[in-house]
Amino acid sequence: MASLSKGWRIQVRVINALMIRELATRFGRENIGFLWIMAEPLMFASGVALMWHFMKGTEEHGVGVVAFTISGYIPLVLFRHAVGRSIVLFTANGSLMHHRQIKILDFVLVRFLLEFLGHMMAYLFIAVALLPFDLFPVPADLGMLLLGWIYYSFFTLAFCFLLAPLSEMSEIMEKIVPVATYLMIPFSGAFNMMSWLSPGVQEVLWYSPPVHAMEMMRAGLFGEAVQTTYDFFYPVAFSAIITVIGLALCRKVRKNLVVE
Amino acid sequence: MIECIDLKKTYKHGHEVKHVLKGINFSIKKGEKVALLGRNGAGKTTLIKLIGGVEMPTSGKVVRKMSVSWPLGFGGGFQGSLTGYDNARFIARIYGHEYGELRSFVEDFSELGRQLRMPVKTYSSGMRARLAFALSLAIEFDCYLIDEVILVGDQNFQRKCYHELFEKRSDRALLLASHSLPQVESYCSDAIIINDGRAERYSDLREAEDIYSRL
Repeated sequence: MASLSKGWRIQVRVINALMIRELATRFGRENIGFLWIMAEPLMFASGVALMWHFMKGTEEHGVGVVAFTISGYIPLVLFRHAVGRSIVLFTANGSLMHHRQIKILDFVLVRFLLEFLGHMMAYLFIAVALLPFDLFPVPADLGMLLLGWIYYSFFTLAFCFLLAPLSEMSEIMEKIVPVATYLMIPFSGAFNMMSWLSPGVQEVLWYSPPVHAMEMMRAGLFGEAVQTTYDFFYPVAFSAIITVIGLALCRKVRKNLVVE
Repeated sequence: MIECIDLKKTYKHGHEVKHVLKGINFSIKKGEKVALLGRNGAGKTTLIKLIGGVEMPTSGKVVRKMSVSWPLGFGGGFQGSLTGYDNARFIARIYGHEYGELRSFVEDFSELGRQLRMPVKTYSSGMRARLAFALSLAIEFDCYLIDEVILVGDQNFQRKCYHELFEKRSDRALLLASHSLPQVESYCSDAIIINDGRAERYSDLREAEDIYSRL
């Protein structure tokens, strides 16, 4: 028990140190510094929301276009940024392997956590800013909204665990990940609700885990105003399997990792 | 004690396979100062990396029953884009040390002065060595793994290292990879020679040097 709690303390210490280091190397201490982690998704989401607002008007299928776009876009960019950041991450951080208490899984966790925090902060910031103008609703069911976020984040983390080692094993990964994450948009549930689609399309999209997470978030956000479909078990099982495969690959890659 | 049990390391690149270490067995007890000799490419750095846990062995294992430093070498352990102070802060955090204490030791030992506020990538190899030694001495390990790097330091630095490692910390173990026989003689009492992927230990330094110079 004693060694378990000691291991945990070391783990927390390492994650903390790596987060600070990552923030310092990525954003520096100039101007707004680490707040950039929030500014980036914020600019993305508000830009796209504004565009959609002018293209599609204020309301579509009974929900506000701005709120709908933002609630879909921020989780989507979380996935894209987090997965993008996990590519060849072990080689990039190789020199840190000099310190035995740092494990390669820490790198994946740290980058994911930073993206997660940044996107959550952006979401919260934008929601609070738009609330007074009636452009963003007060969540009908905050618990359901958060649960959807957890599901979406778990799916994202699972793919980080998978793609970090895969990108070390094959250089092709580095090339196809940006395209693949872009082509994934229709399967992310970001820009349409299941209930807007034809039954045939719904049946196919049901197999995409982020669609369930997104439907949960929308149920939590818009409540009765939207009709949602989701399953609690399938997305978790899917992400868990991906995580297990990813962790096994991480182990294999660590064994052959060459550090300069 | 550190024990290497049948350590093997193979590197693969495409269809090329290189068996660097083919079964290494030895141990280092507390306080022993051991030199690691071998020709370029014999596997000295690889062995130090395995003992330090930087890379994993293809088979066999390293048992560490005392605290072992990270390998002090030319690269590694630092983030080039961060300043000396930031690197020190990072090391203090991951090893759970009080930063203020570590900082004053590093300033004192490294004599890098204002350079500590510059990114490490702007340092010369001698300056890097100073910083690496300062940090690892401040953390206090039972065994120090040193990969040639003492050599790049100037006289003053070498004297300081000698003082810190031998006079103040004579109970610590040391594994020193080096090509400099005079240096080996002044630092070590035993030697391990790596040749053709295998290691042989000699308690007679003269004999080891003799064999080494005929490799």
